[in-house]
Amino acid sequence: MADQANFERDAMQYAPQLYSAALRMTRNPTDAEDVVQETFLKAYRAYDSYTEGTNLKAWLYRILTNTYINKYRKAQRRPSEVELGELQDLYLYKRLGEASGASPSAEADMLDAFVDTDVIEALESLPETFRMPVLLADVDGFSYKEIAEILDVPIGTVMSRLHRGRNALQKKLWDVAQEHGITGNQS
Amino acid sequence: MSGCEHAIEYVYQYLDEEISFFRKSRVRVHLRRCPPCMDAFQFEEKLKGVIRDRGRSDPPPELFDTLRALLQEERQRDEPGI
Repeated sequence: MADQANFERDAMQYAPQLYSAALRMTRNPTDAEDVVQETFLKAYRAYDSYTEGTNLKAWLYRILTNTYINKYRKAQRRPSEVELGELQDLYLYKRLGEASGASPSAEADMLDAFVDTDVIEALESLPETFRMPVLLADVDGFSYKEIAEILDVPIGTVMSRLHRGRNALQKKLWDVAQEHGITGNQS
Repeated sequence: MSGCEHAIEYVYQYLDEEISFFRKSRVRVHLRRCPPCMDAFQFEEKLKGVIRDRGRSDPPPELFDTLRALLQEERQRDEPGI
């Protein structure tokens, strides 16, 4: 059992990450701040149910995710398992390869041209069902097991959504690359 | 399944270090003798780093103060009326 008096000391270090995750979820700074504030209040009130020494970061993310879902999902049309369309493995690698010719590791070099706003735009374009596991794995570095606990879905579901979500992210990154001329005016 | 197909199917689990020992060995052996797959794996690894490093936003500078004030208010509410 954790002592509520220690909550601020223990949890505050995660505020920046939680804010960034909330911003990727809500795609809006005001909403992101609301979600983080609500998360902190809920976490503070429930802190005596948190077992000290267990994964505090994952515990906070679970509250954050539930807060976001309760607050914003009901405002939307109930999202069905969104159809992402035909997806291909190594999508971005293949497209960049075609654009760059045959020189070795040219694809990897081209990644340097992607700036923060490109990556953020691509992440935020993903349907929520796929955006959440991709954010948790790729930006926040959680394991599959942790993501399964945070999102309250089976680990197999995490893996398949992550796989499809990453493929969709690569497709979007390619679109962004073309719009911004990263690939040398293909379009 | 060919060695290339097997490797590509498990590329994410391999990079995420969420792969069984047996599959990991099979992928590793394949990568050692297949430069195209190795190139693709290195690309995916770099992309993962790009998303991690460039996918995050900084909070507004007053976030800490806001949260501290919020918790302070909550603590005062807990105290019975003085």
